[in-house]
Amino acid sequence: MNPRGRIQLVGGLLDLPIIDKDGRYCGIVDDMELEEAEGTLRVKGLLVGPGAYRGRLPGWAFHLIRWVAGARMARVPWDAIESIGGAVVLKVAAETCGLHRAEDKARRLIPHRGAM
Amino acid sequence: MNLLELTLGIMTAVGGFVDISELVFAAQAGSSYGYALIWVFALSTIGIMVLGEMSGRVAAVAKQPVFNLIRHRLGLKLGLVTLIASLISNLITCAAEIGGTAIILHLLTGAPMMLMAVAMMVVLIGTIWILPFKWIERAYGLLGLFMIVFAVALIKADPPWARIAAGFVPQIPSGLPSGELIRFAYFGVAIISAVMFPYEVYFYSSGGIEEEWGPKDLSINRLTCIVGFGLGSLLAISILSSSAALFAPLHVDPQLPGSAVLEAELPMGRVGLLLALLGVLFAVAGAAIETCLANAYSVAQFFGWEWGRHKKPWKTPRFTLTWIALFLLALAIVLTGIDVMKLVEFAVLFSVLVLPLTYLPLLLLASDRHFMREHRNGALANGLGWLYFAVIVAAAVAAVPLFLLTSGGQG
Repeated sequence: MNPRGRIQLVGGLLDLPIIDKDGRYCGIVDDMELEEAEGTLRVKGLLVGPGAYRGRLPGWAFHLIRWVAGARMARVPWDAIESIGGAVVLKVAAETCGLHRAEDKARRLIPHRGAM
Repeated sequence: MNLLELTLGIMTAVGGFVDISELVFAAQAGSSYGYALIWVFALSTIGIMVLGEMSGRVAAVAKQPVFNLIRHRLGLKLGLVTLIASLISNLITCAAEIGGTAIILHLLTGAPMMLMAVAMMVVLIGTIWILPFKWIERAYGLLGLFMIVFAVALIKADPPWARIAAGFVPQIPSGLPSGELIRFAYFGVAIISAVMFPYEVYFYSSGGIEEEWGPKDLSINRLTCIVGFGLGSLLAISILSSSAALFAPLHVDPQLPGSAVLEAELPMGRVGLLLALLGVLFAVAGAAIETCLANAYSVAQFFGWEWGRHKKPWKTPRFTLTWIALFLLALAIVLTGIDVMKLVEFAVLFSVLVLPLTYLPLLLLASDRHFMREHRNGALANGLGWLYFAVIVAAAVAAVPLFLLTSGGQG
């Protein structure tokens, strides 16, 4: 067992971009959800969205971001991950994990014509 | 390698190199200190060649644009500080570019400057909405080639070539009083900042990903950076040298972009003036697009949104709303009536402060064996990269005291 190696994996995952199975950017690994099983900690999933900044930013900065961007947060289960490299690639579509809600909301605000 | 693609890429880099800050500081540096600041342009150009090439290589090999790296390498807290600082710096720069185009349009048409700023904004938003990335980049870069008139004007002005050549040797003019020495240092820092603006690497590396670069494109990347930025820098040096040859003897201080274009009129007449106005208009409008898109890229990459103008605007909705909002904010700044030259001064000041935080993650990843494999930095790229990192840290430390001591270069 190499606990240092595992800690490095967790550190290496934080702040990586997430790409879904269709090649779409759908968030950043903002935090991780851990669970205890058989005396060891395991990564249960990835937390994505400004709601996951709590604990990673000073309180005032977190409240400011929550005021600007809201506190939404999506969970990506560990078994939805296809590979981890320069980005976390999912084996599912963003919608499956609720990662495209804000993008869909913004899409309704702009016209869908006129571009080459 | 596609020769046409390579030529177009290089020409685009040449036409898109000069922006309003370089134009203004080159013209002022020439009129105030003759040819003595040419070496700072040359030094900074090698810096942007080295770091631009690195950002393009990282985009091609690791498929990582700069702000993804900043977030991953610096973490959320320091990354957020960098994001906010670069947003402010790029927004002010974008406002300065829009103000600059409004001045040029006012000179060309006689219409009120504020009306021209609004008209330019409509054109810029329309351009990005309608055209895909490659067309936007090529259109403004190639039209910016009108700036070559400044090099032609310099040749026609028959300047002292030996003194221009001597300007490439690092020097500090002798006999300057201490106040002028401090102003000389301020101009040095401002030129480093203007040539190595952070938005250039955000835009260049994101552009590499927009154009789907891969390892096969590394030669194009290298040649574009070395030849394109090198020739682009020669245009800036032409502006400085013409100013030294034509304005310095008359004690003219070209504080506005409109004054700099007279460098082409004096030796070439009205045709020179018109070509210079068009060159500055397209180069500065192109820079306005680059700064605005660079900001939208930064935000989208930091938060992991869909981004890029190789996709239709509604396929990247948050990115689209961001660049439109940033353009409108930049326009609002211009419409307050603030002096465009003040905006230019603040733009170079904020940018130099952001430079170290921009380039550190880039240097770290470009040397990373795991991500970059056989394309990681060699000894030369690493040596030059860290040398320039030291230069920009020194410039960042000196920037605020020099700005305050000289009242933004006013002496």
